[in-house]
Amino acid sequence: MKSPFLGEFEPPHENGKRILGPLQRISKQYKHYLDSEEVDYCVVGVGSAGGVLLQRLARAGFKVVGMDAGPFWDPERDWVSDEKGSHKLYWNSLRITGGADPLTFGENNSGRGVGGGSVHWAAFAPRFHPSDFRVYTEDGLGADWPLSYEELKPYYELLEREIPVAGPAYFPWGDPHGYPYGPHPLGGVGDVLVKGCTKLGIRVCAGGPVAILSGSHGNRPHCIYRGFCIQGCKVGAKASTLITHVPEALEYGAEVRDFSMVFRIGMRHANRVNGVFYYDRDGHEHFQRAKAVIVSGYAIETPRLLLNSAGPGHERGLANSSGTVGRYLMAQAGNVVLGRFSELIRMYKAPPAHALTEEFYETDPKRGFARGFAIQTVAPLPIAFAKQMMAAKGAWGWGMRRILMDYNHWATLGVLGEILPWHDNRVEIADEKDEYGIPVPKITFNLHENDKKLIEFGKKKVMDVMWAAGAEEVVQESRYAHLVGAARMGSDPATSVVDKFGRTHDVSNLFICDGSVLPTQGSANPGLTIQSLAARTADYLISQGEKIWTSNERDMTPPRVRRHLAVKDSFSKGVPRLFH
Amino acid sequence: MVDSSVEQLLPVDKKTRRRRTAVRQPGYYPGYSTLSQKSFWDAATRDVVEKRVYDVPEIRFFTPDELPLMQAVCDRILPQDDRLPEFHIRIVNYIDERLYKGSIDGYRYVDMPPDGEAHRLGLKAIDETAYAMYNQPFLDLGPLKQDHVLKSIHDGKKIAAHDIWERMSIKRYWHLLVQDCVAAYYAHPWAWDEIGYGGPAYPRAYTRLEGGEPEPWEKDEQRYEWEAPSTSISDAYEEAAAGAETTHHGQGGTH
Repeated sequence: MKSPFLGEFEPPHENGKRILGPLQRISKQYKHYLDSEEVDYCVVGVGSAGGVLLQRLARAGFKVVGMDAGPFWDPERDWVSDEKGSHKLYWNSLRITGGADPLTFGENNSGRGVGGGSVHWAAFAPRFHPSDFRVYTEDGLGADWPLSYEELKPYYELLEREIPVAGPAYFPWGDPHGYPYGPHPLGGVGDVLVKGCTKLGIRVCAGGPVAILSGSHGNRPHCIYRGFCIQGCKVGAKASTLITHVPEALEYGAEVRDFSMVFRIGMRHANRVNGVFYYDRDGHEHFQRAKAVIVSGYAIETPRLLLNSAGPGHERGLANSSGTVGRYLMAQAGNVVLGRFSELIRMYKAPPAHALTEEFYETDPKRGFARGFAIQTVAPLPIAFAKQMMAAKGAWGWGMRRILMDYNHWATLGVLGEILPWHDNRVEIADEKDEYGIPVPKITFNLHENDKKLIEFGKKKVMDVMWAAGAEEVVQESRYAHLVGAARMGSDPATSVVDKFGRTHDVSNLFICDGSVLPTQGSANPGLTIQSLAARTADYLISQGEKIWTSNERDMTPPRVRRHLAVKDSFSKGVPRLFH
Repeated sequence: MVDSSVEQLLPVDKKTRRRRTAVRQPGYYPGYSTLSQKSFWDAATRDVVEKRVYDVPEIRFFTPDELPLMQAVCDRILPQDDRLPEFHIRIVNYIDERLYKGSIDGYRYVDMPPDGEAHRLGLKAIDETAYAMYNQPFLDLGPLKQDHVLKSIHDGKKIAAHDIWERMSIKRYWHLLVQDCVAAYYAHPWAWDEIGYGGPAYPRAYTRLEGGEPEPWEKDEQRYEWEAPSTSISDAYEEAAAGAETTHHGQGGTH
């Protein structure tokens, strides 16, 4: 076929609507609050957590506004099936990075624009294991969470249906469970992982768990296997809060204010916040009044905002009496193992995320280090692949050209390894300013002994799998994946920033709800956990009602699970025999 | 007819031992064209990719002094002598555009100046290294010697320009340079054709996911064995500048 039956795909003509996906359109006209109107909650950052918070709080009848530094995307017009053209989805403002093992930023983690990082996550959506919540108790390293797996479990079950997650009917690791949508067909890289693991007798999970539709879901079509997950899913098959939670938030009266960069939290007096200072798209300064503020800026921007909000009574930064704001930053080990096969793989087809094993997730005393790792499919597009080969093989010149001519023969698998929270891995404020004149963050990152041993072991294990799958050459690149911590939750106000509901220990109407509150990170991709925590924080806020704004009382009773606030029509979906 | 000096820049066919000729599209997928499929792409994608091909940005960042040197360096970092001149991908223009617009990847290492300054300093360092090694400017060197100059930086050997390497990490400069080159080259649909990459597939979809099977519009691989020209040393692999040290550049987020 030389051209489509109905001619070229022309730009859609529907003005006045945002086209979130082929079937999903929303109005551009929704509630708008004035700066001078006092809203109930101002959420800073409309990403994985912010989107869920807005939806829940709006459904419960609160006046909420969500600020995002980036645009309110119109995926059909704004996003492209193109690696380079997707640069704008990432948080690309300057961050200074150092330490013995520096992190990189940009496309590797936080997003900019409504949906945040969930716009460009690969969408692996495993739960954390029960052991993740008591690492210190079990291993004597890291930290314990102030809540247990059982407390979060109902929210995992809700979110797995709301976004929803596709995977096997029986997932054997951690707390075994099943998924509401069936597993995806495998692409070339998934075949490699399954083959290698099977040869070595390692249990492997094929076709999920990923927050990508394997069947159509309401106004969202199923996956078309075009492989551009981390470039933003134009299909609407991959979940992002932009398409899963934000539309319903708007429908129930929430406002999403885009191009609004919050740079300081306003204080009424030392123990209460009263709104946020922000710059609009033209760089004009505003102050939005709010009865309470929830910071959902993720692991770098959240501590940055708190530190930049230092003032009388909070000289070291807001909510930082413990000195832990910015500390215990974590990334996961993300070593990529690349194997060349004599047959063609064509790894650009199918979602990069579609098969994994968590067989090495838990501590095994025989290995000589605490905690573990997962092995997951990854599938870089050509530019990312070339950059990996620069590091993995020192490739350049004709050598680079030759390797890339063999692009279709390579498969890649990723280590996803748990790096523990360390006091010296931190976010601070640098002297330099960004494009708004706001001081930029400076990040220091060092690997410690346990991390190095874990990475070495994980890397070798993935290489074994690659060889077992029949690769004729295997190389690897050291890198990181994800980013969490730096405003951790805990029971002790002297060593943590927020309590188990996300309320800062220091300021009773200031909350943090995003990946930065994680005390440890497991070897699971953090997205599902972040969204589940957000639903739980929302339930807490709803259960507390006006007390949040008027009282300093700290009620630590867990809220009841408000299943009726789940995204409409998602509650009853699922695998009935495994649904509690 | 190509003259002999151009000819010795060409790869050699391993079977016939003859130099291959420069062509419109090297690689193992002759006749494959992603752009020929553009009417199946969505409009936004078509616009972005067509603009890249037909509206090459002009030079605004590099000075007239720097430009020929940058061009010569990029010609060795990613040689294109096997492509007909009109089908060279204009790497330097795309890098120039990024630097002119100050577009960054979201971070800067503490031991690096801003990207634009790093590129300017790097060019100076390359020229000083050429003088130190061969007593000639980089531009006057033949391809092999040029490769040896670049290889010294690849290996992290500070042969000259010590003041510059005080101000920036030689290892990170090398990564910046190579990353910028590959990001420009492999963003281009002609490079996709060369490597047999399927390209955009929305709203059409990929349907043949397993076994490396081509879609109806893709081509089967037709391999040929080739050697890099003897005027180059970049086809031999060694760990990059980092050496024993682990590199954590982490670009190309994949999970």
